Parts: sequence; structure tokens; C-alpha cells
Amino acid sequence: MNPVEIVLLYQSLLGIYGDRGNAVVLRERLRARGREAVLRQIEPGQPVPASGAIYLLGGGEDAAQVTAVRQLRQDGRLFAALDAGACLFAVCAGFQITGRSFTVGHDDQVIEGLGLLDVETRRGPRRAVGEVLSRWTKPDGGQSVITGFENHGGHTYLGPEATPLARVEVGVGNNGDGTEGAVQGRIIGCYPHGPVLARNPELADHLLELALGQPLDPLPNPEIDDLRRQRLDWARRHHRR
Amino acid sequence: MGRVTDLGLGERLRLRLATGLGDAAATASKLTGRGTGASVRGQVITKLAPAAFDQLLAGKRLAVVSGTNGKTTTTHLLAAAVRAGLGDGAAGRVVSNADGGNLRQGIVSALAKARRADSAVLECDERVVPELLRHRIEVLTLLNFSRDQLDRNHEIKFLARAWRQALEGAGDSGPTVVANAADPLIVWSAQTAHRLVWVDAATLWRGDTALCPACGGLLTQTTGDDGCLMWDCPDCPARQPKAAYGVVGQRLRLPDGRLVDPELKVPGLFNLANAACALAAAIEFGVPAAVALAGMATVVAPAGRFAEARFGDAVARLMLAKNPAGWAEMLPLAGADRPLVLAIDSALADGQDVSWLWDVDFERLAGRRVTCAGPRAQDLAVRLGYAGVEHDIVVDVRQAVAAFAGPVDVMSTYTPFQDLLLKAGLR
Repeated sequence: MNPVEIVLLYQSLLGIYGDRGNAVVLRERLRARGREAVLRQIEPGQPVPASGAIYLLGGGEDAAQVTAVRQLRQDGRLFAALDAGACLFAVCAGFQITGRSFTVGHDDQVIEGLGLLDVETRRGPRRAVGEVLSRWTKPDGGQSVITGFENHGGHTYLGPEATPLARVEVGVGNNGDGTEGAVQGRIIGCYPHGPVLARNPELADHLLELALGQPLDPLPNPEIDDLRRQRLDWARRHHRR
Repeated sequence: MGRVTDLGLGERLRLRLATGLGDAAATASKLTGRGTGASVRGQVITKLAPAAFDQLLAGKRLAVVSGTNGKTTTTHLLAAAVRAGLGDGAAGRVVSNADGGNLRQGIVSALAKARRADSAVLECDERVVPELLRHRIEVLTLLNFSRDQLDRNHEIKFLARAWRQALEGAGDSGPTVVANAADPLIVWSAQTAHRLVWVDAATLWRGDTALCPACGGLLTQTTGDDGCLMWDCPDCPARQPKAAYGVVGQRLRLPDGRLVDPELKVPGLFNLANAACALAAAIEFGVPAAVALAGMATVVAPAGRFAEARFGDAVARLMLAKNPAGWAEMLPLAGADRPLVLAIDSALADGQDVSWLWDVDFERLAGRRVTCAGPRAQDLAVRLGYAGVEHDIVVDVRQAVAAFAGPVDVMSTYTPFQDLLLKAGLR
């Protein structure tokens, strides 16, 4: 069996919140189950491999978003890989550029996004910064709470083709309307940034199962359970409004 | 922005009264064991005499240091160089916020304690630089920019833009700027200064320098004449300036090409870079190179960094790392032959978001056993688990350290570091 390829896109542009962690988590969760996995880190100018199973985009600043969109369009292979059935997990600024459009700069210049998710992002009235909890209904109908940290100035609005990933319990999420993230086919976007998959192993495994097309054995880890308990408890006690 | 001028008798009396009450508050804070009193002194003075910041700065020769990492150590090195330059008469003539209190209140607190000083060497938070530039600063040293506390400073470039504008506004009466040529954002922020002295600080962390700050182009790295890496923008004229000072191996390069050994008492390549900047600033401040170097060589454990403290049978070497660039520099210094305790907090001063743990190459610790400590020990434990590093969790930092006997390396974010210093009686 070929190793599963996890492709981390443009860390130097979109990796400001430790976003590389999501790629490490995916790779290690495969290896822990005896599957071969490789992490390929692609920087602007390098060809994006077409053979990836999961592609990852992370958080970054305005100018970096614009450059990332331009480079990914020029390269074109991400679009081909997604057409061929690969998954994309896009976080924060990466989530925004995956949509139809987003704004940058103090004059709110509208930039055309990658158009992979039916979402649009505009500058919100105030920046959303803090711990965020949201309730995610898993594909099997079970419930899971996604814990993370959000830090974004944009508000994201979903079009009819995208569905919310989860419902906000604590924090702001997409735009304050109670939705968090977006799902459209095999593309998932969300605001909890950085190591969101480290705190949410079920979401990590969902991505892997989506990419592999088969269920994975559970991977119990009391340390992660403890971390989740701590973060859920903290967020609920320090409820932001 | 107008320049600050002398103030009347009424204002001076007001400042004197405020300083007296500030001192009293500081003493009370110290006696009740709440802290060093420096912060509360500054708070009281600024509250009672809002003009104190400007008044206390007026009439002094000023040298200011800012940047994401290395401010405190560079300030200590520069202050020692300036004192050495004054020779035997230096006592009381140089004031510095040596404790690292680098916001307005910290600066006010330090200045108020040394009213007779005629020179001030000040560490300054990145956000306070534009305000300080309203005063006549002789030398401003700008070290580096990297991701730090993004929950507060959302965009790194925002600070750089504020510096750039303030330097432009200061015009010909602005400072000589000693700036790190290896950092593209520093170069862009400093370029509007009327006089510039470049230092190639051979910065290790390149995580925040992908794009040209001037035009947004993708920066490339080229090899310069001396074999060193230089950044260059293919889309606009921006490129790494040729530096007058530099770091070569363990030595510093002077503008005339001479290589000197600074004989520092603080370890690490990043402290050589800090020393290169401090030396350049001292020379610009009028201190001869040899005298400045002699002064810098006396600096030991600036504001507790690399200080040794006893907890039980453990002798802890206290190391501070506040952000990914800082950790990248600090981790290689961990002694292979001694236990390692890593203490993580997410109080306001540490940054509330610990996502940055995943920007740090903890994988390099694989093969040794590490203690995770501090309020966010669990986040670190999960990070180390994925990095394949064996670890234990002991949330109480002192307990974690005291579990060992003999030398222990303790690397901490800001709050646990300050707490250990306080508990050890070092601040």
C-alpha cells in the first residue's frame, strides 16, 4: 500500500498559529495504527503534488492570504486533486481563502477566493479572540464538542451549497449566528486555529476516514481526554459574550 | 506631534509628590509580598501626575531598545557599556529599567527612582516606541520582529508600520537607528529614519519573513559575498542592506572589519546578536568599542535570565522563552546531562493562546524525559506526546523542579519565570 500523503500548503504564508500541528497530528494518528504516512510541506513556487490524500491550509495575515490564492491558482493542482477525491481541511485565514471571496486591508478590498466552499467573508464589527466551543454532529449521528482558540477579524457567511460544521456553544464562530465552520463535500473549513486537531482527535479521525474511505480503530489517549476536559471546563467557566 | 518642552514649577511639585506616594505604594507592595513594587510605583505616579512620563524623560540623553526578543538582555548590555564609558563617575548617572518593566509605567517607575541620572538606557515595548519617539532619542536599537502574543498583537506588520510612521514624523531630529539587517520587517520599519546603522544579527527564526513588507512579493534568499544568507525581493528594490556590524562565529565584526571576542557571560548565539546590536548602539552613543566591550563582559544573568536558583536539592538554571523564535533559540541550550523542566502558562503576559506550542521543534528533545509544568502543562504534554518525547506532568512548577537533585534546566514562559525569580528572592 502506498503511504498516505498529507500535504501541508504554504506554511511560510499560512501557518502563523502553529497550524503545522494539524498535519503532524494526522500523520501520527495514521502511524499509530500501523499505516504508512508522509507529511509533505509545500512552499510557494514548489509544485503542489497531485497525489495527496489530505491537503491543509492554516492561518495568516492579509497579504499572505492574497499571495496564497494567487500561487494556488497559478499552480492549479490543488483543484485537480480535490476533483479527483482528495480532502481539504482549511483553518482560519485558510478557511476564508477557500471561499468565494474575502476582504483584506483597512479599506476592505474584496479578493476573489479559491471558490471551493460556498462561503463569503467580510470584516466583522470586532475581532473574535478567545477559546471557542462548538457542538459537532458526527456523520454517524453522535455528538462531539470541538474545542479550540479563534482569532479572526472576518465574519463568514454560508451560501446554500455549504453546511455549518458545528453549532457554537462558547465564542463567536463564523459570524455570531451560532454556526461554526463549513462543510461541502470533502472540504472542511473552520475557525478554531492551530492545533485544533490535537484537541479534537475525533475530528482528526473523521478527516482520515473521509480520505481513506474506511473506518479506523479507536486510539485511546487519556492525556488528550484530560486536555479536553480542562479546555471545555475553562471555556464554560470563562464564558465570553 | 509636538516635542516635549520644560514644564512649570507647579508640574514639578506635582511630580515630586506623585513620586513620593509612588515610592510609598511600592514599599507597601513589597512588604506585603505582592511583588517588587515597581509596577505599582509607576501606576501611582502616572495616575497622580499624568505628565510624569514626559517630565522624567526631558533633559536626559536617551538610548532605547525594542523588538520582539532580546530587549532586556540588550538593554543590560548597552547600559553596562554606557556606564563603562562614564568611568568612575558613572554611579547614579545612568538609569535603566533593568527589571524589564517596559511599558509606560515600568519606564516611569525606573526613571522616578533615579532623578539625578543624565542618561537613560531604556527597554521599550514595541507598542510604546512611537510615543517615545516624541522625545529626542539619540540611539534607537531595533532587534527583530516575530510572532508573539497574537491574541493581543493581531498583525505583526501593524507594529512595524507604526514605527515607520513615527520615525518619518521625527524627521531630522529623530534618532540614529541601529537595526537588524537580517530581519526584513525591521529593515522596512526602520528605513524612514534619518540615520541608520545596520547590524547583521544572523537571525535564526525565518518563520515570519516570507513576504516583502514593501510590496508583498515572495522574498528569496541569496548568498552574499561573505557566504552569509541575504534576503532579497525579486519584485522590488528591497533587499538585505550591507551591515556595518555582524556576528561571525563566536565573534563580532566591527565596521573596520576587525573581529572581536565579546567574552559574554550569557550563552547562546542570539545573545551574540544582542551584543552586536548593543555594541553598535554604544559606539553611536559615544562609547569607544574597547570600553563598551569591557562593560558588556560584566553582564551576568540580566533580569534573572540564566540565573541559578536553589529549590530543595535542585539548582535550577532559569531560562525564559516567550514565543516560537525564543524557543528555537533556547531549546538547543538545554544541557543534555541534566533534567529539563518546561513551564507553560497562558496568563495575560504569556499570551492566552498556546497554539504556538506547535511552532516549536520539540521533536529535537526525543530520546530524553521532560517534565511538563505550569497551568498549561497538559497542552504541552499532548504536544510532546505527538513529538515522541517521554514526559511527566507536575503542574506546580517549584514542585516539578524540586523533584530533582543537582543541576536542572528550567525553561518557562513569562509568568512562571517571574514567579520562580520571586520565589528564589532574585527579584
